[in-house]
Formats: sequence, C-alpha cells, structure tokens
Amino acid sequence: MYESLPTITATRTDATVRTANRRGSAWLLAMLLIPAIFFSAANAEYGDVVINEVSEEAGMRPVVFPHWFHRIRFRCKVCHADLGFKFEAGGNDITMLKIIDGEYCGACHNGNIAWSVENCNLCHSGKPGTKTQVHESTLQKLVSPVKR
Amino acid sequence: MRSTQLSISCLSLTLLLAWAAPALAESGAETYRTKCIQCHGTGVLNAPKLGVAADWVERTKKGKAVLTRNAINGINQMPPKGGSLQLSGAEIEAVVVYMLAQLPGDGAAAKAKPVSTAAKTAKADSAAAAPKRVAEVAKPKPKPSAKKPKPRGKPVNTFNRLMRPPSQRNLPPTRDGIHDASSVETAALQHPKEAFGPMPKSNSGNRVDWVAALSKGIIDPRFDLEDDTKKPIVLDLNIVREVKGSMPDVVYPHKQHTEWLDCSNCHPSIFIPKKGANNISMASILLGQQCGVCHGRVAFPVSECRKCHSKNKSKVAKK
Repeated sequence: MYESLPTITATRTDATVRTANRRGSAWLLAMLLIPAIFFSAANAEYGDVVINEVSEEAGMRPVVFPHWFHRIRFRCKVCHADLGFKFEAGGNDITMLKIIDGEYCGACHNGNIAWSVENCNLCHSGKPGTKTQVHESTLQKLVSPVKR
Repeated sequence: MRSTQLSISCLSLTLLLAWAAPALAESGAETYRTKCIQCHGTGVLNAPKLGVAADWVERTKKGKAVLTRNAINGINQMPPKGGSLQLSGAEIEAVVVYMLAQLPGDGAAAKAKPVSTAAKTAKADSAAAAPKRVAEVAKPKPKPSAKKPKPRGKPVNTFNRLMRPPSQRNLPPTRDGIHDASSVETAALQHPKEAFGPMPKSNSGNRVDWVAALSKGIIDPRFDLEDDTKKPIVLDLNIVREVKGSMPDVVYPHKQHTEWLDCSNCHPSIFIPKKGANNISMASILLGQQCGVCHGRVAFPVSECRKCHSKNKSKVAKK
C-alpha cells in the first residue's frame, strides 16, 4: 500500500522505515567502516543547510539556510507545517519564481516580515561547489559521503 | 537601459553641479550629518573618515560612479545604503559628492566614495519597513579577511575529529567554511555567537540548549507567521518506550516537542500515533529516519544518549 505513494512522500513512510530497520544494522556497520576521507574543513554551524539544487546551474552561489537564526524567531511549525517545507535538504523544489509568488522563503522574505528577494547574496552566500546537505548532521559526520 | 539612464543622470548631474552645487552639497551634508556621520565621522568598522585623506586615497581612484554604486549596494562592512534604505540613489550620490568635497585640497574631486550611513539610524528609521533585514544587516561583522583559521592536520588523524575545540565553534559566517567569504554580503550576516550569548549552553549541536532557552523565555520564537499572540497548544504526555538491551528506557515528552512542532509534523508520516505501531531503532535514527529526521540534524544530536534514554530500568515499574 505504501509503495503506491508518490516517491516524495514515500521517503519517510513506514515501509521505508521498516526496510531500514531490517537492514539498518548492516548498513550502519558497513558505512562506519568506510574510511572517512571526504571530510571538508568546514566548521559550519549545526543545522546549517546548503541548498544547491539549481543555484549554481543558474550561475548563482548556493544558498545557505541557517536553522539557528530562524529558530530563534520562529518555531519549527511555522515553516515545516504552515509553509510546507519538508524535513529534507533538497526535498522541496524551491525556485525563485515560487519565492516571488510568496511560497516557501517568499512567505516571509517579501520585504514585509523579512528582507526581500533583491538581497540576492544574503541567501546566495555559499561557497561555490558546496553540495546540498545539512551541515554537521549525523549523516554527514558519521556515515560519510552519502549526500555529497 | 539602466546604465544609459545612469550615465545620463551622471552627465546631467555633472552639468548641474556647476550652478546647482550649493543646493546639492547642502542636501548631501544634511544626509551626512543625520546618517553617515555615525560611521564615517568616527571611523567605526573601518569606515573611511570624513576629511581624512589617507582613508580616501585608494577610494577616490575608483571614481565617483563606482563609489556611489558601492555605497548603494554596500561594500566591506558597509551595508547597502549604509542601512538607510529609504535614501534614494540621488541622495546617496549627493552624500558621496559632499564627502569627497571635504577632502583636504581636493574640493573638486569629481571622484567618488563610498558612503554609508549609520546602521543605528537606519534601525530606528526603517524598522517598520524591514525589521528583520535591518537587524541582520546592521550587525557589525568581524573583519572578513583579517584572520583565517590556521590550517589543521588531516581531520581523520586528529584527536577525536568530531569534537571541535572551542576556538572552532560558532564561527562567524566569514570563517565557517561554507559561506563564500569573498562575498561582501557574507560579512553582513549575523555572527552566531552574538545571538547565542544570553542563551543556556549545551555540550553539542549549536552548543546552545534550545529547549531551556525557550522555556526560560530567553527566546520567543513565533508560533504563527502573522499573529505573534498565537501560542502553541502544548500536550503534556510522556510516552515511555521500553528498550531492549541494557540502555535505560526512553521517555518521550510530547511537551517539549509540541512547544516547537505541530502534530502533523510527526503524525502520521513519521510516527503512527498508536502504541506499539512504531518499530524504532538506533540504526534508522542514525541514518536520519524516525527521531533522526530532526535529532542529528537540527535538534540535539544522538550523542546525547541520556536525554532520551532517561528512565533507569531498575527503578519504578513502568506504566
């Protein structure tokens, strides 16, 4: 039944979870044994998300989203329930068009609640070449380069 | 198109200057006195000081147009329009002209200069229009290129590569390795340490105890985008999960979670709201599923075993 759901929601259904449980231990062990040779010298803040799904292809720097800055001002619920941000870096298909239309970041970054989209480089501030990922996450630190 | 307009306006400005100079200089002077003086009068944040030739030597070489553009867009530590976003381009230009005219022995300098304005004034003036932006932009930032973290040995071979020394924690955006330090705007972003100063500390994650900061009222994040009076409906219900093996049982507190989250964030997509329906394992959590969707990414990481595994098995019968 779950298998018939669209992929995007299926990422966190129980079907996947159960699969992960079954194979989790083996995976974990295997992954921890992979030499962690891909560590960057980054000292990012815990939870900083780099989003580079379309930015660099379009000639802009990747976006850095600082979770810490936003959670001082808003509870998780505002973005993750009301605005519909999925709990997954790169899982949201965010484009400037949607932002200008008031979706995603544009719900606040409209010159009303927060500064507006003409301040391109305040968001597009990532080091060129940085991939979409959650910095300092367990996956990034322990399991290594799955998302790179 | 825009550049044509700009050149035309520059040209006409130059022509006008001959006879309109006094009026223009006056408005430039006025703006300087009310806005720019706070940085350019004091030299704070390395702002070139008014009338100090040494500060201006390199800058005047760029020409007035470039200086005006930089002043409008922001440069180095100077935020766009010095933080006074209500100023028009023409007003900025007037200030540039005024400031250049104050240089010793070079009243005629047709070159320009950056300008800026006082972040503080801007904060007050335009707070209503763009509160958050000003707050961010106005933060003084550390010098971007002054100090670089000294290169360390290969991370793999350093003592506990996952444990950063205090000097490597909560670094400013210009030094954190994921921001482009060469971008002027990066320097305008807030420094985490500045925000975390008053908050309770913790030993992991952001090195800040978010739950304590919230419960003590040190931070007051909104629960609704528009309405700051809306408060979460907190559910005070602990779920005890018996754990196989020797670890203490897990006590899951709905209370702290519902302070931040909506029920729909977890139910039913991540956890089926029914006792015994969820088979949770550390393996899947470490892989970023179940509790690991947040814990290990944003919420306190899984290294804090005892924050969840908090109910000692030898004590008190479980519910």
